[in-house]
Amino acid sequence: MIYFDHGATSFPKPLGVRKAVEEAMRRFTNPGRGGYAASMDAAQGVYRCRQEAAQLFHCLPEQVAFTMNCTHGLNMAIRTLVHPGERVVISGFEHNAVTRPLHHLSARVEVAGRKLFSPEDTLEDFERILRTAPRAAIFTHQSNVFGYILPVKELAELCRRYEVPFIVDAAQSAGSLEIDFEALGADFIAMPGHKGLQGPMGTGLLLCGRLPEPLMQGGTGSMSQSPQMPDFLPDRAEPGTVNVPGIWGLHAGLQWVRRRGVKRIGEHEGKMAQFAARELEKLGFRVFRGEHQGGVVSFLPEKGDCEEWAERLGKRGFCLRAGLHCAPLAHESGGTLQTGTIRLSCGPDTTENQLRMLLRQMPMCFSEKQDFLHNSPCHGKKNPL
Amino acid sequence: MKVCFVTFRSITYAQRGQEVLSRAGINAAMTRTPRPLAEKGCGYSLKVPGEKREQAKALLRSNAVTYSKLYCPDPMGNLEEVP
Repeated sequence: MIYFDHGATSFPKPLGVRKAVEEAMRRFTNPGRGGYAASMDAAQGVYRCRQEAAQLFHCLPEQVAFTMNCTHGLNMAIRTLVHPGERVVISGFEHNAVTRPLHHLSARVEVAGRKLFSPEDTLEDFERILRTAPRAAIFTHQSNVFGYILPVKELAELCRRYEVPFIVDAAQSAGSLEIDFEALGADFIAMPGHKGLQGPMGTGLLLCGRLPEPLMQGGTGSMSQSPQMPDFLPDRAEPGTVNVPGIWGLHAGLQWVRRRGVKRIGEHEGKMAQFAARELEKLGFRVFRGEHQGGVVSFLPEKGDCEEWAERLGKRGFCLRAGLHCAPLAHESGGTLQTGTIRLSCGPDTTENQLRMLLRQMPMCFSEKQDFLHNSPCHGKKNPL
Repeated sequence: MKVCFVTFRSITYAQRGQEVLSRAGINAAMTRTPRPLAEKGCGYSLKVPGEKREQAKALLRSNAVTYSKLYCPDPMGNLEEVP
């Protein structure tokens, strides 16, 4: 199997991450509850993960809240800043993890910056709307469909200038692009633990610049006699038992990223994506590429449905994702809502050799004997032609 | 040796407090807050050597580590809150 779906989750996880999960299941009990060694050890493990994240993202350990995934963090952040019916501005490349909570709140959403790979357009459009004092701004750091890297530093500066609270979705950038929480001045930055940070699925981080509104209420091991959730971090954001094996695995992932180097990882993934983009173009695919692009490339075949392509590549051992990638808004902006795209997302260990192997297989997916069935309900049956 | 208790609302603050004190050479063991000292329910404390209490307080404050209260033993050995 050759894996090119790091945008969905990183795979395989580093050995240290897998070992850490096993170790936690063997050594750690519930942290923040008991006073005996196994509970205190678990608490120390959880704290070390907070510390590691705090160092990587330039914040305090208590500002790091553990979540189930990036979506969980985004929901908490959005529910904190946005009330039903309020007006917000988002980028043209947001994931359903942003648009669905806003829809649920009946928020009045204004979309800014729809031009792919154009920071100038993004900034100009955002500023136009920020001047009108929306309730909040929410923007992704890197599009999960097209790999477009938005100008988050400049967007953050605009938000601070116009005093608009903002949330950054770092789902695709955490671990491959520098994120300085203190410098950005964000109200919240949400990220998964299981993509660029190499941790297990079922983990995420929400970096908090203010107290979040909890999505759930429950036991926190603190202020137990109060019927209300604690009014301090991180307890307010973490009711119930946290995913201790996941967090200890995430700690190992964060250490791995720190050792490899975020900048080095990002440069490598970008280089691999650009190589793939150029070669796919030579093969006749329509490729979405530009200057401000990370390790993600979307492309369209001249012939055939993107899902069929991904299926055929999958049968040949190449893992790519096709469709709308849970981001119809991004596809609307990119003009690919009807077709979807095939997405190739590179990881820190993706090699040119792996990409060459994929590229060699592309023409074989398109042989005469197994022509694509356009819009056919006959999937799996013999080609009538 | 007299041992004082610095109580915290959150285990995370206690852990950061422990880190701050440890860097300054003060060995502060973390423990569950004794019930008589626990405000509004459960919590965690750092056990600090009595002679280091003022230094510990200063370090926690200067590092913006929020603690709840400081308790030290009185001459009879009962823990009482100290400013």
